[in-house]
Amino acid sequence: MKFQPSSARRLNTVCLAMMAAALLALFFVDFQVYPVDPWQELARIGWGLLTPGWADLPSLLNALLQTVAFALLAITVAAPLGLLLALVFDWRPVRLLCASVRSVHELFWGLIFMQLYGISPLTGLLAIMVPFTGVFAKVFAEIFHQQSQQPAQTIASSVGLVKRFSYTLIPQSWPALLSYTRYRFECALRSSAILGFIGLPTLGFHLETAFKQGQYSEAGALLWAFLLLIASIRFWLRRWLIVPYIVAAIWMLPDTVGFQGGGSLWQFVSRDIWPSVLLDGDWEGFRNWLVMMFDSQIWPGLWQTLLLTQVAVVLTGLLVLVAYPMATQVLAGSIMRWPGRFVLLVLRCTPEMVLAYVLLLLLGPSGLPVVFALALHNGGLIAFLVANASDVEYRNRVRRPDDPTGVAFYAYVETPRRFPAMLAFLFYRWEVILRESAIMGILGVATLGFYIDSAFEEIRYERAFLLIIVTAVLNMLVDGVSRRLRSKI
Amino acid sequence: MNESLFELNGFTFRYGSTPVLDDITLTISRGEKVALLGPSGAGKSTLLTVLYEQQSALSALQPQGGGLVDLLSVYHNIFMGGLDRVSTIAALWNLVRPLRTGVAEISQIVQTLGLDDKLWHSVDRLSGGQRQRVALGRALYRHQPVFLGDEPVSSIDPVQAQSLLAYVLQQHETAVISLHNRQLALEHFDRVLVLRDGRLCCDSPVKALSCDQLDELYTQTESPLDHNAPVTKNDGWVIRTS
Amino acid sequence: MPIIRFWCVLLLWVPLLVRADAFVFTAIPDQDESHLQQRFGKVADYLAKELGVEVQYIPVKSYAAAITAFRNNQVQLAWFGGLSGVQARRLVPGSEALAQGYEDQFFKSYFIAHKSAALQPSAALPSELKGMTFTFGSKGSTSGRLMPEFYLREHFKAAPEAVFSRVGFSGDHSRTIAQVQAGAYQVGAVNYSVWDSELAAGKIDLSKVQVIWTTPTYPDYQWTVRGDVDQHFGNGFKSKVREALLNMKDPDLLASFPRQSFVPASNADYAPIEATAKAIGLLDE
Repeated sequence: MKFQPSSARRLNTVCLAMMAAALLALFFVDFQVYPVDPWQELARIGWGLLTPGWADLPSLLNALLQTVAFALLAITVAAPLGLLLALVFDWRPVRLLCASVRSVHELFWGLIFMQLYGISPLTGLLAIMVPFTGVFAKVFAEIFHQQSQQPAQTIASSVGLVKRFSYTLIPQSWPALLSYTRYRFECALRSSAILGFIGLPTLGFHLETAFKQGQYSEAGALLWAFLLLIASIRFWLRRWLIVPYIVAAIWMLPDTVGFQGGGSLWQFVSRDIWPSVLLDGDWEGFRNWLVMMFDSQIWPGLWQTLLLTQVAVVLTGLLVLVAYPMATQVLAGSIMRWPGRFVLLVLRCTPEMVLAYVLLLLLGPSGLPVVFALALHNGGLIAFLVANASDVEYRNRVRRPDDPTGVAFYAYVETPRRFPAMLAFLFYRWEVILRESAIMGILGVATLGFYIDSAFEEIRYERAFLLIIVTAVLNMLVDGVSRRLRSKI
Repeated sequence: MNESLFELNGFTFRYGSTPVLDDITLTISRGEKVALLGPSGAGKSTLLTVLYEQQSALSALQPQGGGLVDLLSVYHNIFMGGLDRVSTIAALWNLVRPLRTGVAEISQIVQTLGLDDKLWHSVDRLSGGQRQRVALGRALYRHQPVFLGDEPVSSIDPVQAQSLLAYVLQQHETAVISLHNRQLALEHFDRVLVLRDGRLCCDSPVKALSCDQLDELYTQTESPLDHNAPVTKNDGWVIRTS
Repeated sequence: MPIIRFWCVLLLWVPLLVRADAFVFTAIPDQDESHLQQRFGKVADYLAKELGVEVQYIPVKSYAAAITAFRNNQVQLAWFGGLSGVQARRLVPGSEALAQGYEDQFFKSYFIAHKSAALQPSAALPSELKGMTFTFGSKGSTSGRLMPEFYLREHFKAAPEAVFSRVGFSGDHSRTIAQVQAGAYQVGAVNYSVWDSELAAGKIDLSKVQVIWTTPTYPDYQWTVRGDVDQHFGNGFKSKVREALLNMKDPDLLASFPRQSFVPASNADYAPIEATAKAIGLLDE
């Protein structure tokens, strides 16, 4: 227990340090703006969004249902597993394991599990499940951390872990656990859609095609369908429907074509992920390989990643502060919050790849569209979560008649209340941003994720493995720093 | 009978540079009923926590706020006190379907507490006084020889407070209880400690004290020094879900 | 307990994964990926008729996924690009290039530039490219990455990152054209056949973007089959597959690739591609 003279001062110090680091990063990050001529293409995109069209309705419906099926099954397994891991999250190896599974993008998990299970539903499920378990473990552990220690003090100190947790921390945090799982289900829908890129029959399968081919009406139809799916979650995801849904989801899963079992797991673990020089016992060669990797990929990638994420995180934070009040009942009013909520919905449902592409057309290739795409997407997400938390509290809170109103209320009451949670989300998004930068190769910005993607494209798993380890360690470090910062809040 | 349970010798406890407990020397023996008085922020809660850590295997602690789990019913909140007496499986099953023995025992406790009609209410639906009685129920169900209570009856109406306090003291061999009500302290305890700014400024048998003397100790302390009292953790910056 | 039920069903269902032996193929989607299932479904029907076995098509959307599926024997036949074919054959010893498109014998890439780059079509790679922004297509593409990078390195004696102020990977030929046309990148490298068909479809505004240089020709797409198909599907199966591919005359089927016909190919035809990939460091020795 440390005594804190002023929570606000600590918090301000943390925020100022983050902003100072971001300002410093601005000096190094490449924000060149190129003259562009995007209006023809943007007009086509805009027109496509306004005139969504899809010739083959059953296939669209099927893709939507598959997207839901994968997400639902993955969460059904990942959430309880994450809960179990959260109970022992203080144990360092567990934290390390979770950090490493989180640092790999779902798409790469998909490619890794393809070694084992081919292009099959199991591959898709595992590709979502594994990283999500890591995320659940971390966030659940954090939720436990925020709970009062008092209930645990009032029961016998000899009571075992399972009994203790099932009577204190789990029921204490149950509403938070449920609401996070619900939110995570939405994330799983996004991941499930994205996994279409490696061949699962989900929305992403068609979206990527339509978008790549410039068929913007079809892309528009898919985006709108996805938007509706997400916006209507609370109407169709009912507690009593979950079990029937799971059964239906299992039945929905597509057949596996052609895979006879006997994937190349052993080959993958024993040979593919190790550089050949190491397998030959050539230590000199291995050293050279490491030096080469460090000089040409790890160091530049690390540097770019740190610069961009720092700027993106701070920009995300600013965006949240501006955007969240427009979606809250208490600040925008029960009717006027809907346009705000809609904008946030659009921001968080649009895949980063699409945002990045539009921004690339507008700004030319540089760090700028990367930072904006990440800030818009993540800002939309966090602002939505913050606004939701505010609305939940609005319903339960006893208001004081002498509460200020308007801007004063925003500045003195609502924002201070929301701020710690918002910072927690931001710190978590740091690692999400790290992961997402993998798909920003179209912008010509060589982050760590860019090199991981290249390694997978070039079927150089040994490089991917090394880069993933580096990313995982970076993840752990950032995680450690943000834990420390938050413990000061 | 005079075996000592708690011992502090020049004990100091700091949050950062501010001492919360300053040079406390104290011995509490088995069988003593000790009232702990002093203004808010004097260090009473910290002292109780320190004492609890010395004898956690023998003590039932009732912290300020009670440590209730909102989502669970009155029954489950009290049952938690006896978790060490049931197996893990039974404890888990009890969450799904309450154990018959547990229900029988706890029904009696809630009767004493005057909560018999609330057994299956979740505690977030209860008033402050009712919640405090549930917390008291859990401490009673711990079946421990020592009771450490941090203002355990402060929100309960005076008449009931008095009888419950008497009941708790009768159920426990030893008790250290912080209070604001000086009258209760003089009537039910045999020793009084007064804390002021983290220092023990009075440690005396009740017989040697009068209500006026206690008042004096209070008025002295409530004056200007109060501004320096450490801020409690209950400000809006901390994410709390209790 | 929904979780337990889920595991039960999952365990019951895993054995079903092992399906009857079907001959499965996939194709690198490099052009017009829409309605893959319909278009390649027809190819599957054709092959089934010719080969007398059940033939299935799996859609795959990335080069890496196609290679992985080929490697762990989920697909036995694949329509690869030049580079992905070489990568796949290195991973699956005994596998063999069977046939290539007629056009693939002399494939080429276009370098295209936005008008703001002020580059004129020329016979040699213009040195003015230095310092501009440049985008490749997909990282694993032969026509969108490998060969353009090779000629760039040959001309500038430096890696693309050192030649250009920025190097992007659009991920797809159509995207490359759209990005250069919008001026997001000044210069790009693109598969000539994608350019030609988009031009014919009226999607390209020649006042904004034009071809400034054409690479020398090189071998590209090909059908590659695993070496162990004869074991699984009977002796002579491989040559039956080759015959079926070479005899594919229906323009409707050929339009899926799109090629005018298929001609015989061998692993040796792709030795230059492999050498190039090694030269620029995309493949290890």
